[in-house]
Amino acid sequence: MNLLPWLVAAWLLGVGLYGIVTSRNFVHLVGCLSVVQSSTYVLLLAAGFRWRAIAPIFYDHPPGTPAVDPVLQALVLTDVVIGATVTALLLAMALQLHKKRETLDPEELRPMR
Amino acid sequence: MNPKWRLAVFLLACLVVAPGVVGLALHMPRFGAPVLALGDAINAQGTAQRHVSNMVSAVNFDYRGFDTLGEEFMLLCAVTGTVVLLRGARGEALDARPGIVPGRPILPRSEAVTLVARVFAPLIILFGVYVAAHAMTTPGGGFQGGVIVASGLLLVFLGDGYQTWRALVKSRVLDACEGGGAALYALCGFAGMCLRLPFLSNVLPLGTAKEVFSGGLMLLENLGVTLAVGGGFSLIFLEFLEETRARKPDEPK
Repeated sequence: MNLLPWLVAAWLLGVGLYGIVTSRNFVHLVGCLSVVQSSTYVLLLAAGFRWRAIAPIFYDHPPGTPAVDPVLQALVLTDVVIGATVTALLLAMALQLHKKRETLDPEELRPMR
Repeated sequence: MNPKWRLAVFLLACLVVAPGVVGLALHMPRFGAPVLALGDAINAQGTAQRHVSNMVSAVNFDYRGFDTLGEEFMLLCAVTGTVVLLRGARGEALDARPGIVPGRPILPRSEAVTLVARVFAPLIILFGVYVAAHAMTTPGGGFQGGVIVASGLLLVFLGDGYQTWRALVKSRVLDACEGGGAALYALCGFAGMCLRLPFLSNVLPLGTAKEVFSGGLMLLENLGVTLAVGGGFSLIFLEFLEETRARKPDEPK
């Protein structure tokens, strides 16, 4: 149980990178990048997790109740928002590529040959 | 490099890195018992110091507010990039015809879809505003609320189609929200400097914990983030939906 979260994060990073390396379609590649990014969510949330603790919100519970780490939760929050907009930017690039070259395959582009 | 070689290099790299990853995982702190002191210190003192009950918002907008400023400008850059790439190509005219894929018919919209979208769009937008407004007390904040508002606006497209959506969602307003939100956040930082305090000092009265209007300057920063995230995501939706229209006659193929 102590190893599981860290190995899940490493596994997500690995399979995401595997997808990027073998990708034959830029939309698929952007999806793989999201998988790589989700490994950072797992890593950060696991690093701040605490057994039998509440979310770091002291509305119903008095301050001092054991709570999970708020700094890492804030990091994941911004990570998710940035991830979504960067995905949109990359998809816009893929769209422009398809308009210009009629292909989404990285292998078809000249520097890759 | 051909794909087989690339895969071989990747697998070799994995083999080299794997022992390090497993070794690192074995030496990580025990799961469920975090060792990071900053988070615990904020949990212990945040409510007393900043008069807010949501510690994630306190970190985002106050203790590490400077990082959120950087994050805000990353958001601005990503949205600007998307808009620059997609604007002016297709669907600028309100009456642009839908793009047609050969062999795929355009089915008329069901009345049930229109009804559900019309009922739920205002409710979801209201919920987004609620989530954004309660940033300092309960789970929520500008990031989450902004995205919920933007997705509520997207329901207008689902229920009433492209022309209604374009008539309702004006890209100039969204541009102003996106840029103005980021600017508001940066200006909040300068407010402290005008009073000879460090950048992003919380200079407004803090209010009472567990009330909606608590946290002082964090409320303004939260408003800036709400505007920037809501405007930014709506802009991205707008630009991508414009791409569903037909190619313009003068557009280079």
